[in-house]
Amino acid sequence: MANVIFKDVHKSFGSFVALEKLDLDIRDGEFVALLGPSGCGKSTTLRMLAGLDFPTSGEISIGGRVVNDLAPGKRDIAMVFQSYALYPHMTVGENIGYPLKKRGIKGAARAEAVQKAADLLQLGALLDRKPKQLSGGQQQRVALGRALVREPQVFLLDEPLSNLDAKLRSYMRAELIELHRRLGKTMVYVTHDQLEAMTMASRIAVMHGGHVQQFDTPDAIYNRPANRFVAGFIGTPPMNQVEGTVEGGDFVIAGHRVPIDRTAYSADLHDGPAVLGVRPEAISIGSGEGLPATVRLAENTGHETIVTLELPDKRRISARVEAARRLDVGQPVALRLDPAAIHLFEATENGARLNLDDTPASVIPMRST
Amino acid sequence: MKLLRPVLLNVFTWSLVFLIAFPLVWMIVTSLKPQSELFRIPPTWIPESVTFEHYWRLLSETPFLRYFRNSVVLATTTTLFVVALGTLGAYSLVRFTYRGRETLALLVLFTYLLPSVVLIIPLYLMMVTLGLSNTLFSLILAHTTFALPYALWLLRSFMEGIPEDLENAALVDGATRIGAFRDVIFPQLLPGIISTALFTFILSWNEYLYALVLVNSDAVAPLTTGVMSMLISAFNIEWSLLMAASVMMSLPLIVVFAFLQSYLTSGFGAGGVKG
Repeated sequence: MANVIFKDVHKSFGSFVALEKLDLDIRDGEFVALLGPSGCGKSTTLRMLAGLDFPTSGEISIGGRVVNDLAPGKRDIAMVFQSYALYPHMTVGENIGYPLKKRGIKGAARAEAVQKAADLLQLGALLDRKPKQLSGGQQQRVALGRALVREPQVFLLDEPLSNLDAKLRSYMRAELIELHRRLGKTMVYVTHDQLEAMTMASRIAVMHGGHVQQFDTPDAIYNRPANRFVAGFIGTPPMNQVEGTVEGGDFVIAGHRVPIDRTAYSADLHDGPAVLGVRPEAISIGSGEGLPATVRLAENTGHETIVTLELPDKRRISARVEAARRLDVGQPVALRLDPAAIHLFEATENGARLNLDDTPASVIPMRST
Repeated sequence: MKLLRPVLLNVFTWSLVFLIAFPLVWMIVTSLKPQSELFRIPPTWIPESVTFEHYWRLLSETPFLRYFRNSVVLATTTTLFVVALGTLGAYSLVRFTYRGRETLALLVLFTYLLPSVVLIIPLYLMMVTLGLSNTLFSLILAHTTFALPYALWLLRSFMEGIPEDLENAALVDGATRIGAFRDVIFPQLLPGIISTALFTFILSWNEYLYALVLVNSDAVAPLTTGVMSMLISAFNIEWSLLMAASVMMSLPLIVVFAFLQSYLTSGFGAGGVKG
């Protein structure tokens, strides 16, 4: 059992509050991504789990054991750093063997474990090289090897792929998923890249301003965002958010009515100001009936086209259409929104979502680019 | 015009080289000349007969070797002190956050800005109070005080170049803080430590003023003051012995430099952290 629990953890640096009331319950064997923009507290969370930083208050436990006062080396964890942090004066073999050396594993036993880890990561031929003689991808694998050679309870990964080029990144992403499946160990993965989080994690903790905004499966994060921040952070382009007013069975945008199904939303939804959220793929562009708009930009990426549309009150939203669709700049169109895909949020800065969560997640196909 | 530039540049450079090298060459030449040839006019550039008698006399008839031993002990111990204290201090200044850290660092540098003449009398009085006057140890302490501030800053900048993640990685891998320092920080810091050691050694080896004021016993005098008082009196300067002594005083520095220089450059540029 190697579950990880953060209980009511606070962390401040002087007067700056980095984390406030952090509660996370990471299950044994789970792959959890901590996702958020820079400064959201995700790295601090990981560093506290590693023992490189200490919580101001609260409790952190690994496998049922409170680790607050435990040195990093005694927590049975391994960490992969963004910079890889390979020891420059040691060979690849010595780098991978270092955690074993520090645990008093000697001679043949150590050599065998190093060889096994190296073979797993196809580093067998490079054991005598120094880190600076390796490519970025190889260095990355050495860092991984050093982490897994000891078979720790929990793996911590701090943006491990962000220094790789796009092609290698997608390759390593697949490698990591495979590795997690094979090892079955708990992994906590910090990233600012939503694609990495969405594709790799079994659950994602979206963080912002020192708070966990939502801790859920990628599917739920995408289809049932808890609030406006999550809605606006996930998806490329992110969910459109349009301020307007609720009037009976309609949502009014700049004098135009969009029908909504009041029964799909919680009792907290009252007539008055609210924010309508809709994913770009839930907007269909046609003519005649619908919300009037003007095409401002059409970006063809090859397999789809992202259209920027201007509403009558000059606000802009984006829609996703098939690549073959021809749309001219300046062309007036009418928009129809899929009623089942309309999210409504409170009209505050980071308003909570008001939908009742019986919306089947599969209504909206998940897309990622 | 195109041809003139390199010619002028060469003339300039070589005159500079000559200007700097001449006293050194003259020192060596003089130390090898027999007494009779020393003051001949016009001077002989290449000695007509080469003699090592001055070196022999220096080693057999004077306390030169004692001074030499004193200097070796003095410079080596000072270097050890300064490197040990400087490394630990730099580590603290870079890795730990505490109140007044920057002020402390600036204050240390500030002491370096004071001319040593200002500090020498208080330092002398302190040594007398401590009962250390006229000992080699008082000189070691004095040299440490003036070499340490600069060494601290030098080592601090080297230390800042070592990514914190390296140490963090070692900690996570199971090393203690001391262990991480020994296994990871120290090897990375070695070029910095060597240049600091070199700097301190040279400073201590060549130092004259403190040695003159703090030590007046012949038994503990280092080379600088020992050779001066032995060979230079109000009535006479033993030029050939002085030059031979100067050559032998310079030898250790040349050897140390030649030995460590390749190491100095090889340490740089090795990096295991990307970005």
